[in-house]
Amino acid sequence: MSWDWRYAWQIVPTLLDGVAQTFLVTLVSATIALLGGLAVAVTRWLSPAVVRAPLWLLVELTRGVPILVLLFFCFYGLPGLGLRPSAFVTGVVVLGAVYAAYCSEVYRGGLASVPPTVWDASAALGLSTFVTWTRVILPTVVRANVGALGNYVVILYKQTALLFTIGVPVLLTNAQVAGYESFRYLEPFTLAGVLYLLLNLPSVWLVRRLEKRMTRGGF
Amino acid sequence: MADSESGRPPAVEFDAVTKRYGQAQVLDGFTLKVQAGQTVTLIGPSGSGKTTVLRLAMALERPTSGDIRVFGESVVYDDPARGLPISKANAGRRSRQIGMVFQQYNLFPHMTVLANLTLAPRTVLGLRRDEAEELAMEHLADVGLRDKSHAYPGQLSGGQQQRVAIARALALRPRLLLLDEITSALDPELIGEVLEVVRKLTRTTDITTLIVTHEMRFAREISDRIVMFDRGEVVEDGLPAQLFTAPSSPRTREFLHSILDH
Repeated sequence: MSWDWRYAWQIVPTLLDGVAQTFLVTLVSATIALLGGLAVAVTRWLSPAVVRAPLWLLVELTRGVPILVLLFFCFYGLPGLGLRPSAFVTGVVVLGAVYAAYCSEVYRGGLASVPPTVWDASAALGLSTFVTWTRVILPTVVRANVGALGNYVVILYKQTALLFTIGVPVLLTNAQVAGYESFRYLEPFTLAGVLYLLLNLPSVWLVRRLEKRMTRGGF
Repeated sequence: MADSESGRPPAVEFDAVTKRYGQAQVLDGFTLKVQAGQTVTLIGPSGSGKTTVLRLAMALERPTSGDIRVFGESVVYDDPARGLPISKANAGRRSRQIGMVFQQYNLFPHMTVLANLTLAPRTVLGLRRDEAEELAMEHLADVGLRDKSHAYPGQLSGGQQQRVAIARALALRPRLLLLDEITSALDPELIGEVLEVVRKLTRTTDITTLIVTHEMRFAREISDRIVMFDRGEVVEDGLPAQLFTAPSSPRTREFLHSILDH
């Protein structure tokens, strides 16, 4: 058995469909992760202990259980309770929630390291709480941590391959299906690997660039 | 609480203010009145509570007991008699009359100089962007930094950052300005440019200025009044010429000796 270019060429369209789906899954779950993580961190920061405790539990639960277990629980387990989310919804919500938990820890560390002088300056200027948070504190935190947050998005992108297990047609799924239909696995999985890598390189570059841009002005 | 001579309330008035952090007593029955338009400098050893005095006036901290009034209005209570703490809205309104400049400049590092200067006027005073920017450019011109409006704080020297911080505090057109050791973090060669800005400010405006500084020559030259402060209480209070040349308290003499003799 050797490499078959004609076959490889044949499966490219279906693999590209997988790329599109991978991209979509990444986009939606990364949005959930970045905004959800921020919401969790800010809520924990501003809330009394009674609210903080359950949020802490939720974060630890999400971080402490393997993603596959969460995926199977939601996709195969929840129907037992009468809930039947689609594979796509299950996938993006689970990935989004897990990485929201990771991101919330980044934001929390960022909030804790905002120097007291920044809060003082905001108060001395009479800025409202809302303006202080949206224009001063959060931009400071995000800029200081754009590298860590970006890295989580890059990792999340690779983890989208896990959604193969519940049948979301991401790149890996389509490669597996192509191989299954023709009993040839060398070409689909090689191409899948190459495509994952090719997509990853620009995003790593983008994260570095963002990091550089955000830290201008001497942070 | 009105001043007997002019009938106007003092710009700032500390009324038997006590401040404790846990066991540490920083201020103990501290009382001070600063008349509107005056420049008053607090001097005294490190750790004597000078910075706390300014932070209390800016309402960055609350006194343990006592009251602080700015232009006749409490920044601590809505109703001092019943100990009702000040509401957020009132606190905001009063703090608008006060500007503060810090030792570490405290500029927002992710914003350009212009954005640093326009944020409060736009969101607190509700100015339009073009109005706020025009005013900001005037204030930058006053501190000699018109050409730096699009720089980020990290691209400026310490002296320039501090001048921007002064311009930012003035952008809200405060009636009372608090300067907290504004040259202490600067390299010696940069101190002059910052002091020059303050000199010009006190000469050309009627803004009331309360200063904490270790620059004694500057304090003597610029102040209408010097307050010597030690261990949470006023030791001596008088005209600069008298206090620096013929201090009446041994503690003042000792302090002046310790910092002028090197």
